Amino acid sequence: MPKVSLYFELHQPYRLAPYSIFEVGRNHEYFSTKSHDSNREVFTKVALKSYIPMLSLLLNLTKQYKEFVWAFSCSGIFLEQAETYVPEVLDLLQELLRTRQVEVLAETYYHSLASLYSSQEFFQQVDLHSKKIVEFFGVKPTVFRNTELIYSDAIASLVGEMGYTGILTEAVDRYLEGQKRTQLFSSYSAKRLPLMLKHSQLSDDIAFRFSDKSWVSYPLKAETYVHWLNEYQQNEIVNLFMDFETFGEHQWGETGIFDFFQHVVHQFIQYEWNQFVTPSQAMQLTDARKLPLYKVAEPISWADIDRDLSAWRDNELQHDTLRLIYELESQVKATNDKQLLHDWRKLQTSDHFYYMCVKWSADGDVHAYFSPYENPMDAYVRFTTVLADIQSRISQYQAKPSRVRSMKSLKKRAPEFIQY
Amino acid sequence: MGNNQILMLGWEYPPHNSGGLGVACEGLTQALADGGTEICFTLPYEHPVDIDHMHVLSCYSRFVTLPFGKNSPPFQAYSTQASGTSKINFDPKNVRSMSFSELEYKVNAYANSILDAVRQEHIASDVIHAHDWMTYPAAQYLKKKLHKPFVAHVHSTEFDRVPTGNGNPFITHVEAEGLHNADRVIAVSELTKSVLMDKYGVAEDKIDVVHNGIDVAPKIQTLQFAQDRPVIVFMGRLTMQKGAEYFLQLAKKVLTRIPNALFVVAGHGDQYSMLLLENAKQKLSSSVIFAGFLRDQQKDFLLDRADVFVMPSISEPFGLVALEAVQRETPVIISKTSGVKEVLPGAIVFDFWDTDLMAESIEKLLRDPTYYEQVVDQQLASLGEVSWKKSAEKIKEVYQRILNRRK
Repeated sequence: MPKVSLYFELHQPYRLAPYSIFEVGRNHEYFSTKSHDSNREVFTKVALKSYIPMLSLLLNLTKQYKEFVWAFSCSGIFLEQAETYVPEVLDLLQELLRTRQVEVLAETYYHSLASLYSSQEFFQQVDLHSKKIVEFFGVKPTVFRNTELIYSDAIASLVGEMGYTGILTEAVDRYLEGQKRTQLFSSYSAKRLPLMLKHSQLSDDIAFRFSDKSWVSYPLKAETYVHWLNEYQQNEIVNLFMDFETFGEHQWGETGIFDFFQHVVHQFIQYEWNQFVTPSQAMQLTDARKLPLYKVAEPISWADIDRDLSAWRDNELQHDTLRLIYELESQVKATNDKQLLHDWRKLQTSDHFYYMCVKWSADGDVHAYFSPYENPMDAYVRFTTVLADIQSRISQYQAKPSRVRSMKSLKKRAPEFIQY
Repeated sequence: MGNNQILMLGWEYPPHNSGGLGVACEGLTQALADGGTEICFTLPYEHPVDIDHMHVLSCYSRFVTLPFGKNSPPFQAYSTQASGTSKINFDPKNVRSMSFSELEYKVNAYANSILDAVRQEHIASDVIHAHDWMTYPAAQYLKKKLHKPFVAHVHSTEFDRVPTGNGNPFITHVEAEGLHNADRVIAVSELTKSVLMDKYGVAEDKIDVVHNGIDVAPKIQTLQFAQDRPVIVFMGRLTMQKGAEYFLQLAKKVLTRIPNALFVVAGHGDQYSMLLLENAKQKLSSSVIFAGFLRDQQKDFLLDRADVFVMPSISEPFGLVALEAVQRETPVIISKTSGVKEVLPGAIVFDFWDTDLMAESIEKLLRDPTYYEQVVDQQLASLGEVSWKKSAEKIKEVYQRILNRRK
């Protein structure tokens, strides 16, 4: 008899197209080649399998039940790609927002890890995202979710500074200290913010285990799942947070995931004491100072078994590329080159670092599923080659007469000068 | 002097080559054929491209899956799977009593296939000329069956490939056995000759040194990538032998003085992952770029664009790629333990581990255009002495000497 808060994340990175050393300084097109755009390919495929059928289904349910309320968020680069590749996805999202039963949350425009490296960059990306949401949907988000639900006390302080009224993150046992995850918590920061923590058991039953034939509860029936939900008390809130692509992409349509979801909503609503709530409804009028504290010293996330940052920041390849990309911040911004700034930010998308993960465990399968590369080494090589070009672009704005030049470039340019 | 018929046993040939061996076989056979030598060249796979200057005999058994499949090159022959011995005590009988390894099986299968093919096609030959250890079992087999002399051509030994001395004992034994049973041995450098004498106990008067040659470089259009940065290039298999680790150390040192320098590592090999991790650990991720294995035009583009070429090999029997860099008017820095230095008196030579001096040298080259041009000119001058035609003439002398002795 609990409250249930549903939240879905929509995101697609700009994957890097093949890029060789021979293009450094000559070609600044990193995300597609003249003849091929894998991002269009992926987005279109996922739109057909997941975005369009699931958004349509959500639209029907939302129109059918006034009580059916839920939330989503989407990265800015998801919206860009939707607009370019499959505008129908945007139309559906806009129509959903018009029902006023759907809440859209704030996040970083580039689905980046900026919150861990640069507060200035983090603020700017959240601001860019918020403006994009206003532009597309006419509402300003008030609740924040960070990339991959990455969260720490320090991040809570930054989010508080920006004026958001609550945060979504993961419930990690080592920080819960035995407290129930089905309640609101308070951030451990100067400005206390209410927190909603993901119920990983019930969320992952749908997101990961639904079609797993070796799972004891396979095949999962909607009645069973609603029964599990009903075991919670009326003052509890079950937060079901998951990737939107769970529906139709991670769990294919053939698994029955769409029917399952629809039946869960129908059946849950049949019990009149049950209630769907959006994050801002759940957190409104709460005095965070009266909530139990959720102290998170080291950053957590919703990824992998460890629920930490090790999917993106664990090995040397990831550490050094992250170091480099954020070291470039002041130089990139000093150029005032909008295209360069946009490209540099697209390289901040967390997925690029996820592809470089070499963790050896059950998580490895999940990583391989999402990666366009054959191995993490290839991801590193392509990313660093592109970075070399970004550096070349930056250096064109920097006057450094003492810099050592290429002997070959000096030599082979000479005839051209003579002609003039 | 009549024209000889040579049965040449190969292992790889362009475009399916993993490195220098295939290139050397191409240059050498072309020059020999130009001089009238008739060559029948065997390969352990189906060669997809027509070759005009010689008869190519594809020898592989229908019953054995060779290490590479029909159409791909046998790269594994040059991979380093270190385990074993530091000094070989050669006992010819011992080779046959060794445990039955996959490698042994494959090398022997190649030998059988060659004999079958030679018999089926009635290939006549005066001399059997075998390139590196993979072909030595076949050469000895044929020598016995055909009663023809066998020349072992050494492009590389297991002591070069695994400089710690912990090479594969099977391979070192095959090498030693082959060298022992060969009528003459050709080494690609004085450096290799000394390895053959010191490590394999081959008699000095059994060895002839024939340096590799080089073809005229194909004309290409210059590709001006990364033109605002000095580009320093490494090109070779990423194995311990080639010293790519020292290239990373060198990069680190040069970058403290020339922060915009761009280092390019071209090649693949068993050290690939290790080198990438080390590169990131040393915070070189956007300063040292890994370009993968390059061939043909891409290889030429890179050598042409390079401002400096570095070959820090721990043990390099020859090092053809250094000559190719010289052809592109790129100054080369090579290790003392490289055979190519014997034909390139104008090259800048250091110990492979001496990255301090190499870094100083690179800085001098990049800051002093007069010195740069001087080095390029010196190197180009030495190149005039090197050709496949010369190598072929020396090899014909080797053939003649054996045949005269036999009469």
